[in-house]
Amino acid sequence: MAKVQKRVWLTFGNRNLVEKPILWRMAREYPNVSFDIRQASVTAEIGIMAVLFEGESGELATALEFLKAQGLTVEPIEKNMIES
Amino acid sequence: MSYVRGLKCRECGQAYPEKGVHVCETCFGPLEVQYDYAAMRGKVTRESIAGGPRNLWRYRDLLPIHGEPKVGLHSGMTPLKRARNLERVLGVRELYIKDDSANYPTWSYKERVVSVAITKAIELGYDTVGCASTGNLANSVAAHAAEAGLRAFVMIPHDLEQGKVLGSLIFNPTMVRIKGNYDDVNRLCSEIADKYRWAIVNVNLRPFYTEGAKTFGFEIAEQMGWKLPKHTVCPTAGGTILPKIYKGYREFINLGLVEDNQPRIYSAQAAGCNPVVEAIRAGRDLIKPQKPKTIAKSIAIGNPADGFYVVQAVKESGGWGEDATDSEIVEAIKLLARTEGTWTEPAGGTTLAATIKLIESGRIPRDESICVCITGNGLKTVEVVVDQLALPESIAPSLDAFDALMADRGTAVAAVSAV
Repeated sequence: MAKVQKRVWLTFGNRNLVEKPILWRMAREYPNVSFDIRQASVTAEIGIMAVLFEGESGELATALEFLKAQGLTVEPIEKNMIES
Repeated sequence: MSYVRGLKCRECGQAYPEKGVHVCETCFGPLEVQYDYAAMRGKVTRESIAGGPRNLWRYRDLLPIHGEPKVGLHSGMTPLKRARNLERVLGVRELYIKDDSANYPTWSYKERVVSVAITKAIELGYDTVGCASTGNLANSVAAHAAEAGLRAFVMIPHDLEQGKVLGSLIFNPTMVRIKGNYDDVNRLCSEIADKYRWAIVNVNLRPFYTEGAKTFGFEIAEQMGWKLPKHTVCPTAGGTILPKIYKGYREFINLGLVEDNQPRIYSAQAAGCNPVVEAIRAGRDLIKPQKPKTIAKSIAIGNPADGFYVVQAVKESGGWGEDATDSEIVEAIKLLARTEGTWTEPAGGTTLAATIKLIESGRIPRDESICVCITGNGLKTVEVVVDQLALPESIAPSLDAFDALMADRGTAVAAVSAV
């Protein structure tokens, strides 16, 4: 199955999320989905990461859903494309 | 002659040639246009600008194009009004309204960014332009693309109100109505931008697009007589305009076109969608995404692409952020209309309401110059005021009925004799 890549911003919106090893869990759950952190800014209250994910299309989508289910905001690297 | 020297990542500094790219391949940071400012000195002058056309292209030396402008030849140079009536109401000494509700052809500040983006799209060889928009941006892309003879794709959520759809449809773009919630539509648009070789103005042409917003600031400076307001209050949605107005001010200062009066810039947002103002108040650089809930839909962007840079510009300038509730926004729309004869959309109401709060809290001193940025026209958003304005009763077509009405209202009417 061909691999696809996705560039996204992950936002860890509160201290609780910042302090959980959510990416590690995703990697255990979806070992065929790789991730490469290209930029990150993390404080005690909020963390934002620019991440390149790669994997088979269906599994990659499921992995990103897993991150959302943990409470992360997962957005395209363009963030909000829809303007007024 | 063009002074453009390519693109550069704002985060890691990686250089890129001019093409339809918007994020750095290495760190995913946003790209920005680079200019040779040293070469501009002595050549880009007040006189050279004043000798240019009466549209936004008079600042073309500071815009990222090489050839002749293709669209926007009637855009920009909107009124900068001294708002004397509003000055009296608010108790301030010097207040200006920069009024892009009068911007041609679709009545918003988007003409500035879209004029630059579409001209650049043609320079780069694109034959199709597009955007994902619920209003002003779609209107402007559709209109300018029609003028340029380009194919235009406008992507919208399927349940958008008819009134907002018409303002684009009339220009005959290809409109794509997408089923799904906001996040679904946003994600799909990102995938479309990745897959198709189109110029999505606010995505892959974003480095060029955003530069057009500088002309809002350039015009303020020139129209004030080559000086800067001490305080500029600007709405924040995706975060394009505020950092670029500030960049425009700094460019004029660095080129010696205006005196450096340490201008301060302020972000205005609706209380129902205030991720940038919230970050400024909390002393954070990072933006926490929000789910918008406000009537100010044109600025309801929960995770603004350039929010971080808004915070940076505000902090660097010594400005601040303020928000306004929906009722404060409507009151400010009505206040601006009845005092200055300008009907703005909720984004403008937000900006004026925030300005009032900044004045009342002492953040903006009453005796210093203030400029309120009005970025869109109220005629596009009649629904926000339609229930706020009472329709007057009707009367019989007789002078007696009119006199009775005047008497009812206690209006002093002087009878005028025919001469």
